[in-house]
Amino acid sequence: MTEPLEQRVVTEFPYKHSTGEVIGRFLAGLKDQKRIWGQRVAGQGVVVPPVGYSETDGSAGGEWVEVKPTGVVTAVARVYRPIAQLHPCAEPFAFVLVKLDGADTALAHVVRDDLERLRVGTRVEAVWAPDADRTGSIRDIACFRVIT
Amino acid sequence: MSASEPPKEPVKYVEKQVHLPYCYVAGDYKARYLAALKDKTILGSKCSRTGKVFVPPIVASPESFAPCDELVPVADRGIVTTFCIVNIPVIGRAIELPYVAASVALDGADISIYALVQECAPEAVRMGMRVEAVWKPDGERQGSHEDIVHFRPTGEPDAPLASFMHRL
Repeated sequence: MTEPLEQRVVTEFPYKHSTGEVIGRFLAGLKDQKRIWGQRVAGQGVVVPPVGYSETDGSAGGEWVEVKPTGVVTAVARVYRPIAQLHPCAEPFAFVLVKLDGADTALAHVVRDDLERLRVGTRVEAVWAPDADRTGSIRDIACFRVIT
Repeated sequence: MSASEPPKEPVKYVEKQVHLPYCYVAGDYKARYLAALKDKTILGSKCSRTGKVFVPPIVASPESFAPCDELVPVADRGIVTTFCIVNIPVIGRAIELPYVAASVALDGADISIYALVQECAPEAVRMGMRVEAVWKPDGERQGSHEDIVHFRPTGEPDAPLASFMHRL
């Protein structure tokens, strides 16, 4: 029996997502102000990131409200063996949901360090990407880190 | 002073490269089929119940569900059963436009394969036209589909529709 015949093929899809007004301004806040903004929405409180409407009654999003770069972890999924170019980090990390102080909904992001201490209820804070690296993306927040 | 809202000018786009690394394993029949191309041989597999020959070879007939347990060579020539003239460029494909993408029923095969028809004007291609494979020269064939450069007209008389309409 000979070795199996195989072929390695890489397929790439270069996507360019249109952000829209609301997420667009949220991202501009990250990039230009290093501030995190939500919107006050009927029935939901302060929604971060904002989607521009109420998921409760469909009404339009209201006033912009700044939230803190600190918050509490509400969910954790550790990734011990990241897959190159699929996951956001090469080293083991954790996907988390973070309910930022001042927000009523949780934001999906990553934690890179102190994974053994990380659990639901852990306090974390945003780590900003350097000025030159912020492009107007959710990854302008490089990651969250456990507050010691 | 600290702004009371995010910048007026929104970010318009986010870019994301989706990266999908695949490893395709040919499997037994397809590996033998590809290896045979190196010897200018096109292999099919024969249904043990109906005798129909499938190219490229498959292990079981989707029609009768019976095993196709015999690999048989088919001809490197056949009939254009259907075709289309391509006028739209595709990223990553270097063929000069317009070109003809055709289904070719090889002599001895009961289904057709996808093929490029060249060496004639696109508008000269027709259903029933006889074509033959143009192979890469000896020593350059790798055991891949690219070993067949394209198909070209043989100049033989066209096949009547009834002779190929069941193997489009």
